[in-house]
Amino acid sequence: MSRFVERHPAWALIAIIAIAVALWLIFAVWPPGLEEAIGRKRVFLNAVFNGITLGGLYFLVASGFTLIFGLMRNVNLAHGSLYLFGGYVGYAISTATGSWLLSFIVAFILTALVGVLLQVIVFHRMEGQDLRQTMVTIGLSIVFADLMLWACGGDFYQVQTPNWLIGPVELPLITAVKSSGEPVYLRYPMVRLVIFAASVVIGVSMWLALNRTRIGMIIRAGVDDRDILAATGVRIQLVFVAVFAFGAGLAGIAGVVGGTFQSLSPGEDIRFLLASLVVVIVGGMGSIPGAALGALIIGLAEQLGSVYIPTYAIVVTFLIMVLVLAIRPQGLLARR
Amino acid sequence: MDSVAQRLSAVGAGAALELRGVTRLFGALAALTDVTITVRPGERRAVLGSNGAGKTTLFNCITGDFAPSSGTIRFFGEDVTHFPPYERIRRGLRRTYQISALFPGLTVQDNVYLACRGVSRGRFSFLRPGQNDALMHAADNLVQAVHLSAVKDQRVAELAHGQQRQLEIALALAGAPRFVLFDEPAAGLSPTERAELIEILTSLPAHIGYIIIEHDMDVALRVVESVTMMHNGRVFKEGLPQEIESDPEVQELYLGGGHE
Amino acid sequence: MSLAHDARVAVRPAAVTQRPARTWPEINNPAAWIVAVILVVMPLIASGFFLIEIFATTLILGIMALSLMFLAGYGGMVSLMQLTIAGFSAYMVAVFGISGNANISLGWPWWLAVPMALALATAFGTLGGALAVRTEGIYTIMITLAIGAAFYYFTNQNWAIFNGHTGINTVATPHFWGVNWRADIPFYYVVLAVAALCYFAVEYISRAPFGLALQGVRDNPRRMAALGFNVNAHRVAAYAFASFIAALAGVLQVWNYRQISPGSVSVGACIDVLIIAVVGGITRPIGPFIGALIFVLLRTFALDFLVRLGLDGNRFRLLIGLGFLAIVFWSSDGVIGLWQRWRQSQRSRDDRQGGGRGHG
Repeated sequence: MSRFVERHPAWALIAIIAIAVALWLIFAVWPPGLEEAIGRKRVFLNAVFNGITLGGLYFLVASGFTLIFGLMRNVNLAHGSLYLFGGYVGYAISTATGSWLLSFIVAFILTALVGVLLQVIVFHRMEGQDLRQTMVTIGLSIVFADLMLWACGGDFYQVQTPNWLIGPVELPLITAVKSSGEPVYLRYPMVRLVIFAASVVIGVSMWLALNRTRIGMIIRAGVDDRDILAATGVRIQLVFVAVFAFGAGLAGIAGVVGGTFQSLSPGEDIRFLLASLVVVIVGGMGSIPGAALGALIIGLAEQLGSVYIPTYAIVVTFLIMVLVLAIRPQGLLARR
Repeated sequence: MDSVAQRLSAVGAGAALELRGVTRLFGALAALTDVTITVRPGERRAVLGSNGAGKTTLFNCITGDFAPSSGTIRFFGEDVTHFPPYERIRRGLRRTYQISALFPGLTVQDNVYLACRGVSRGRFSFLRPGQNDALMHAADNLVQAVHLSAVKDQRVAELAHGQQRQLEIALALAGAPRFVLFDEPAAGLSPTERAELIEILTSLPAHIGYIIIEHDMDVALRVVESVTMMHNGRVFKEGLPQEIESDPEVQELYLGGGHE
Repeated sequence: MSLAHDARVAVRPAAVTQRPARTWPEINNPAAWIVAVILVVMPLIASGFFLIEIFATTLILGIMALSLMFLAGYGGMVSLMQLTIAGFSAYMVAVFGISGNANISLGWPWWLAVPMALALATAFGTLGGALAVRTEGIYTIMITLAIGAAFYYFTNQNWAIFNGHTGINTVATPHFWGVNWRADIPFYYVVLAVAALCYFAVEYISRAPFGLALQGVRDNPRRMAALGFNVNAHRVAAYAFASFIAALAGVLQVWNYRQISPGSVSVGACIDVLIIAVVGGITRPIGPFIGALIFVLLRTFALDFLVRLGLDGNRFRLLIGLGFLAIVFWSSDGVIGLWQRWRQSQRSRDDRQGGGRGHG
């Protein structure tokens, strides 16, 4: 961090100012002039929270995608299909058993299993052929999409939020002050906060696993230089399968989360594939912290954009991607 | 020793290639540290050193495959430190690669034609070359000269190793080279092919200088007039071939017992 | 070995042999002539439905896929935004030209609107390409897909220019010299002419310095830079050329359907173009047209075909996906590759039977 400040003082200054402004906007009671100019603070805070929690969801999808790419150079364009598959599984389990938590476990296991099958049966055969692998994932995404359409139809599904998570929670953030002088606090859906906390936990534990365990070191070494892997004497294939399974499983979990937050329907696979693409292009390929930063930026941009410039929300996301590509084509937090 | 170094740097103003304090870092690892080398126009020099001494990194910095972390590189007096590779090539710098870097999907003729086209105008031409295209003739001559006429319409992927090495050199000599970097041109060649290679190098026109990386001392010391010895990314010794060969420190470090 | 002369050979004249590789490859091929004749007399054979729904549509999709083939086959850049460029061009024709949405269309005559659309779409594709070439290899797919998707969502959201998800309808088509150029037979010939032009242009440029250099960039970008080529400039120029071809296809497409909407530029449609090029074969300009024919035939007749087999007619996408997977698994060069392999095995069998005659 301090090295970044040393090397790019101007960028560091801009970042610090931006963070300070954001913090002020979140914590301060807005002066009336500001409310007139850009609307109610409650709207703003809601957009920020929606953006951050959506970022958590994007992170869950994109971290698996970036891990698989980083280690195996496999651009898994069927990642969105794994997301949707996990969502449908989660829906089926939660409606059948009524257990929300169980739906996560089953979705993780089943999508991870699909990941294992893909790696063992398909990608193992075409190692090192980036383009061919990508073509195969495109074919698979089409096949999966149609199979799921066949099985589940074109309806919208929503995973039922468990009772203990329903309803809003009051946060110690003042949205406005009543004329009586009594402060009004922000109320925000409990379930989104819990899920966001869970994705932070998953992200941090992934980071710890990658940086503190032997297998993590091996994976990171492989991301940096794949030839090293052969020299370490580990069974590379096993690592590959494990990473693919884990990445796929995360996409499955994300599917259940997405099914709870929003809804599941054909087309969501492509939406989340694209979100992952943009997140990792912005954050940097193969980097978990990059995926986290990218997810946060894209989530916030999407939500704030849809509140303040609804017609051009998608353009904001896209412009961020263009800007990153123009200034730092390898992504914000990529090593090279 | 010193006198040679002085002699070499005294002509620095009119040098073909002049590196001043070139350092290249890869993360925390220094592949090159404060390398200063001056080569006169037409001079032929060998760069020796064990694996990891920084020889190929040196070439990559000179051609601009990546920029040095610090230091300057001048080519015939012009500061080219921040030029992209193609700008340096267009000024008469050439290089060959240790592992043949050819275009396997194209024919021999097309490979050489591209090399000729790269250093002339019309790189973006949408018109096919006609029968009297000057570059076509130049390419034909180069192909003939490297004895590849018989296979000139074959795809490079189908060539034997020795033929690929010949093509590799042909690509570096297209156009009007003023200075060439040869990266282990003898790698994997048979004794006969080595003899041919030595003949090529010694009979290059006198105005073309070069630096050659070569592990085979028999080849290296026969085709150069000066030697730079590198070790751990630094210039370790500079001098005449005989001086270097007989230098006890160098012998200990590099030549070992194998050369006695 | 007298390479020594080489550095100064540039001016020495040499006996140049005839170079068959540089002539038109198809000119001596009777099959190519037969196909050409059939295409020209097609209106005598085929009904209006076949002429437009099958053959004109095939040619239009083929031109789009051709632009991808040019980038991928010669330049090694797999761009998923070629359909997006075509769609952009189609939108521009509708926006600048005449359409049923008078509040959006500017009402320019077609001979002004079309060059405008071509220029803007080429610029759009070139800019996208300039972004994509900032990274290497497999990233290209991701970036171009993201660009394509962004455009799709943007057309959905934007009402001022792109008229949201309803798109722009009843786009006017050209009438001049007393001919309605959108009538089946004239339109077929327009499409055929443009397709032939694009095909021969790509074929020709593949052997011109620009095309050769592009193939060099595909094979070994580093060496190309070490030969004096500005690799990225070549890549961007390739995007510009391919974008122009895709833009032409876009103009034809909007004239064909007389409308353009976000559905025509969806992510799935972007991927279809890749499928067409890969299935047909990505190393030669004829591949995309073969792929397009297969795709259009499947799309048109798969329903009947599947129902006749007692299967669900809606599983067309499944069929496409499985077919695509099969091609990717078994042939690196699409159906052309399969065909050539089959021919080769036939020939070697003939050889064995005929007692080892040398094969050509």
